[in-house]
Amino acid sequence: MARWGMVIDLAKCTGCQACSTACQMENNRLPGENYQDVLYYTERAQPTPVLKWFPRPCMHCEEPSCMHVCPTKATFKTEDGVVLVDWNKCIGCKYCMIACPYGVRFYTDEKPTIEPNVKDVFPGTGDLSWNPPYKGPQQDNAHGVGIQPHGVVSKCTFCYHKISKAPKGTPDLSNDNPALREFVPACVRTCAPTARYFGDIDNPNSEVSRLISDRKGVRLLEHTGNKPQVYYLGESGAVPGFSRPDNKS
Amino acid sequence: MDDHTTKVTRRRFLKASGVAAGATGTILGAGQLTGLKPLSEAHAAEAGGGQTIVNKSICGQCPARCGIDIYTTNGRVHAIYGNNDHPIANGKLCPKGHLGTYILYDPDRFKGPMKRTNPNKGRNEDPKFVPISWDEAFKTVADRLNALRDKGESHKFGLFFGRGWGASDVGVNIVPFGQLYGSPNAPIGHSSMCSDGSVLAKQCTDGNASYNSYDYRNANYLLIFGANFLEAFRPYNNNMQVWGYIRREKTPRTSVTYVDVHMNATAAAADRALLVKPGTDGALALAIAHVILTEGLWERSFVGDFSDGVNRFKTGESIDPSGFTEKWTHGLAQWWNTELKDRTPKWAEGITSIPADLIVKTAREFGTTRPAIALFERGAHNHSNGVLNGMAIHSLNALVGSLFAEGGLAYQMGPAYGPAPADPKDYMDDYAKNGPHKKMPRIDLQGHEDGYLMAKNMIQEVGTNHLAGKPYKLDTAMFYMTNPCFSTPKAKDWEEALKSMYVIATSPFPDETSMMADLILPDTTYMERWQDAPTYPFQGWPLAQIRTPAIKPLYDVKTFGDTLIGIGKLINGPTGEYFKKIESVENILRHLAKGFEANPGDNGVKDFETWKAKGCWYKKPYHWRQVRGEFFEWDGKGWNKPMTPDEVKAKLLKTATGRFEFVSSYMASKKDWVLKATGRDAAKYNMPHWEPPKYTGGGDLHFITPKTAMHAEGRSANIPQAIAQFQPAVGGNKQALAELHPSVAKAKGIRNGDRIRIKSDLGEILAIAKVTELTRPDTLVLPFEHGHWAGGRWSKGRGSHVDEITPQQSDRISGMANYYTGKVSVEKA
Amino acid sequence: MSIITHAPDQASISRISNLRLGVGIAGLIAGLAAGIGLLSGGHATFNTSSLLTWGLPVSTYVFFVLTSTGLTFVASLAMVFGMKDFYPIAKRCVWGAVVTLIIGFISLGLEIGNPLRMLWVIPTNMAVSSPMWWMGLFYLTYAILLVWKFHLINQGDWDSSQSRIIGIASFVAVIFAHATLGSVFGMMSMRPFWYGPMVPVYFLITAFLSGLAFIMLFINLDYGVNHANMSEGAARAMSRQLPAIFGVVLGLVIVFTLAKTMTGLWSNVPENKIVTQYIASSALFQFELWIGMVLPFIMMLSSKRHEATTQVVAGGLVIVALFIGRYEYVVGGQLIPMFKGAWADDLIAYAPSITEIGIIILAISVGILLYALGDKKLNLSDSPRK
Repeated sequence: MARWGMVIDLAKCTGCQACSTACQMENNRLPGENYQDVLYYTERAQPTPVLKWFPRPCMHCEEPSCMHVCPTKATFKTEDGVVLVDWNKCIGCKYCMIACPYGVRFYTDEKPTIEPNVKDVFPGTGDLSWNPPYKGPQQDNAHGVGIQPHGVVSKCTFCYHKISKAPKGTPDLSNDNPALREFVPACVRTCAPTARYFGDIDNPNSEVSRLISDRKGVRLLEHTGNKPQVYYLGESGAVPGFSRPDNKS
Repeated sequence: MDDHTTKVTRRRFLKASGVAAGATGTILGAGQLTGLKPLSEAHAAEAGGGQTIVNKSICGQCPARCGIDIYTTNGRVHAIYGNNDHPIANGKLCPKGHLGTYILYDPDRFKGPMKRTNPNKGRNEDPKFVPISWDEAFKTVADRLNALRDKGESHKFGLFFGRGWGASDVGVNIVPFGQLYGSPNAPIGHSSMCSDGSVLAKQCTDGNASYNSYDYRNANYLLIFGANFLEAFRPYNNNMQVWGYIRREKTPRTSVTYVDVHMNATAAAADRALLVKPGTDGALALAIAHVILTEGLWERSFVGDFSDGVNRFKTGESIDPSGFTEKWTHGLAQWWNTELKDRTPKWAEGITSIPADLIVKTAREFGTTRPAIALFERGAHNHSNGVLNGMAIHSLNALVGSLFAEGGLAYQMGPAYGPAPADPKDYMDDYAKNGPHKKMPRIDLQGHEDGYLMAKNMIQEVGTNHLAGKPYKLDTAMFYMTNPCFSTPKAKDWEEALKSMYVIATSPFPDETSMMADLILPDTTYMERWQDAPTYPFQGWPLAQIRTPAIKPLYDVKTFGDTLIGIGKLINGPTGEYFKKIESVENILRHLAKGFEANPGDNGVKDFETWKAKGCWYKKPYHWRQVRGEFFEWDGKGWNKPMTPDEVKAKLLKTATGRFEFVSSYMASKKDWVLKATGRDAAKYNMPHWEPPKYTGGGDLHFITPKTAMHAEGRSANIPQAIAQFQPAVGGNKQALAELHPSVAKAKGIRNGDRIRIKSDLGEILAIAKVTELTRPDTLVLPFEHGHWAGGRWSKGRGSHVDEITPQQSDRISGMANYYTGKVSVEKA
Repeated sequence: MSIITHAPDQASISRISNLRLGVGIAGLIAGLAAGIGLLSGGHATFNTSSLLTWGLPVSTYVFFVLTSTGLTFVASLAMVFGMKDFYPIAKRCVWGAVVTLIIGFISLGLEIGNPLRMLWVIPTNMAVSSPMWWMGLFYLTYAILLVWKFHLINQGDWDSSQSRIIGIASFVAVIFAHATLGSVFGMMSMRPFWYGPMVPVYFLITAFLSGLAFIMLFINLDYGVNHANMSEGAARAMSRQLPAIFGVVLGLVIVFTLAKTMTGLWSNVPENKIVTQYIASSALFQFELWIGMVLPFIMMLSSKRHEATTQVVAGGLVIVALFIGRYEYVVGGQLIPMFKGAWADDLIAYAPSITEIGIIILAISVGILLYALGDKKLNLSDSPRK
């Protein structure tokens, strides 16, 4: 069984957010509810400021703290290493959102980032908390795929509706291979500078394994012990610690 | 606005979206997307079948024209990805591309043609649109145009368009309309608010009035001035693909120095960021040229050399022109003696604020790393001295021999199209040939001694000219993919002018122009239409893309091309005959595709059907190449055929001298006008030289209004997803934020999140402050895009309208609107 | 056997009782009005978000279930540890524990997305790695035992072996319950403001203080703010032992609070230092520390500590301080945005929405009503007849 993982090369990433919008439209996210987000950080001062950025999917950890804290096992890890939420089991306690060190989770019923609320413009019925006209055909509540019902937590699925249909034994899912295109996670598929790679991190012959080895992949917040299955390459692979802006509001 | 223009009932929507998908796509193999869950109740009402159709088309959100795959299932368009077989997209997209479905399903779209019933126009006037039929709409326009023609006033009809996206594409359909009908103002493009400064700089130096194609993948050094390569420069998607390659995969890794006025993604990703004082890029380029010459780093095989091989370029010292033999350039000695010898890095430091040692380092790297490309766009040329800045930067390419070289820059070849269904020349009546319109200047005074003799377009002046009645007033104006009453400097002049014109708007969306319109002829969105698009300058070899409808139009709307043809058919005389022959956009495309029969593309495209199936036709390679000072032409196998100087002049270096001109003969041909219009020194007016920019606006902070990566050609203001990701570097996720340096904030008592008032001579706007070290202390950065007073439920009233306080000043040579020339003052609101 | 030394001031007692009923009903109406907001707008009417997930309803839950814990501790002084002076207030404590537990559960129930789904997914999935699962298990066990115990003493069965075992069991259950609640926060190593093995201990002491403070306030109110209205045993417990215990526990909590604040301010870890700076510089914290804890502590050191009026004031202030403390603790652990970059580059601004406050009012009002009803119908002043 593959263990899916992702490699993000920060030396290539241009911070464009196409991963975020591809994900948004593929997975019908609300504006600002970015399963995949790009985080920008500014440090130092003119004329030599530092601007860096950091694409952030769900880390699909080996030891997912979100899963460990879930009181109903709604958050679970699949055999192929993906952390998912079963919306039929989720009670919406949001403990997983508290426990995730990477801030990748979202509750269905939050104040909208953008008014007017798209949920009001495209209201949903029944199990769908909203229903945009461009909604994708996939809907799989047991794997947290599609549009979430009310009162549950949702997160990046590594596009489970795509990768779970990939031929078994595939070492890498890449847009370059026409036969595999439809199985590639949206963010990886669209990444223009090819800063993202997706594959079986247990398979020594996969591109992701080789990249982690050759380019010294690092994982975020190792001290939490979550052991992400998303690796970063490149010089700027550190997220600045928190400090308040000089000019507080 | 009336209810029926904005509200889409659920029933009406379902009816519209439930129509079967267009028949042009390919159905995914059964094995590829199996196992999908049944659709939930909400979707049960829609046409079923469950098959996912993938349609080849092209994106419409910027001029790059990426090939896209549009996914439609059960009549719903639900995903857009890059077309793997398209040479620009290569299966990838930029952040905007995916949001296209949102443009299609924008709930604020117009649902059909309408006419205005409230004669009063203004921001607070409800147009009181009432639906009409397309027949009535066409007849209304045609009657009006025929009446003007009958009166001999056909020049009072103006057709304004943006983004090079004409009826099928520019040149095929729009131009004949003006020719046959008889108006110099049909069409007027938007290029003077786009990037004409770049076009003129190239025309004045190497004779090509065009943007360049670039061979980035083989370049080892990029020196970029004010073209935000990783956020806003086209083709954005491909630029990023290039970036991933040249910065990581390529050996040796390509070095990049980036010059801009604030810290942004490109500056941050480059090896060196030079945060220059706005409008001074030319000084920097001149100093770099100075170093290249004094340190002997120029490419001798292209530029030439001193006859004895001894470098006599010494700071402050003139050379003897006869001692230097030029090869493919013209006027180097004159340029050096008149201008360049004193343009030292130390001098430039005082102008640009860039430390001299960094200028020297940059010049040495650029001068010693071949191939190298110096590229520039709006940041460098949206100033009163824009063409001069551009010429100085482009001259660097000549100095290092990058023109037409591998890893350098060239120009774009056009596609092997077949002839259009009809030739306008055969349909010119006497009025068209000799009518009174022939003696009329254009409304924008483009090409006129009183206006902008050398400019390509002057769309930003039309409103002002119309109001003044100089040269005359327009009667009827039609707009296609341009919204100048929002997007030109001093936009309020245009807005005022629209009150005294009969305005025909064709936007699918209720934008500002539409709110001032008398007639609404709503266009389809780009997923519902036929269209072709030859590539913008890309990699030189010809590329023609086709847009095919993924879905039938959701509403009673028409592709602009078919609207224009529909109107054309009703114009009296042979014009009507011409448009009957043209028939439809699809018919045009079928004729264009006939050209591929003799010239099948590299991807096997040889006719209309294969073009449709693949989405693009292209034929590599680019036919010309300069190798160490020798020019060669492609002979079918390689660049083997040596070119004579005359061939080079005819095909590549299209100047009077057939060389790259540091001293421009094109500008010299307009000498009297240039000297009078600019007041420049007759000794150096036609060579790249330093002229301080004329700042306008009257404030103390440079007002910079850049484009962000989420700017989807004006539409992202109404895309909630785009708004929520608009300005990631400073966290602008509700509206564009005004970026202020902490020292400015402190001096003015402004804190993060405060409302601030930004003032220029033209007035003031309100904005939200973001205090950041990304912005120079002498600069205020506020990205354009928001601040609409119309457009849709998300755009209306969100953020600040920067062009309301951007003063109207244009480069006298290029006519380029000086968007970044204004200075403003700021205070806490 | 209780000896009534004076004629109880029935007028003032029933005035307070009726006032409480009135406040409860008014609060219920106000709370229901806000509840309608929840029904129509769902949790989107909360000011919590994926930036700051748990807000006022959760901190209120924590406050009340820990108060319930504390009340059980006090009741256990008599019923488990045989401190007979506390018998006269034991039934009130047990009823108070039931009521505060209900308040806590209402607050939590209206905060989570699918509360009814809990009923079947929690028992069927046995998520033993989750501190919250254990918390649920122990609080459920505790609730059952507590109600059972109250049922027994309400029937006059104070010290049969069954009753004693139930009492001991509920005491043990609540120790585990509060400890697992502490672990819900204390085990979160990714949130340094919360993290630490001492959190259950901190919760234990503050829970005890919370229970004591409720007794100081409510039992005095029940008797018209006059110990003379109480039975002799009750009066002795209220005027002698309780203020002493209250003072000691309050002193410990002050030490804990200062220690946590000082540690936070000294630390370099932003999640501790910046958050503690932010909290410590707020007026709310200053009120909590000086007015809500130090002042009552001084009152407990004075000879006036025996008087009902002093106790009511001190108890009330400590309740407010503890409520603030719970809120600061729950919210403080989330103030620093986690991986949000420039989208959220300062401490997260959070203030409860009208709906959130409404839920709290609703829950508390239900509690006040239940307590008032209990006071009227259940003979809460009862104690074992010897």
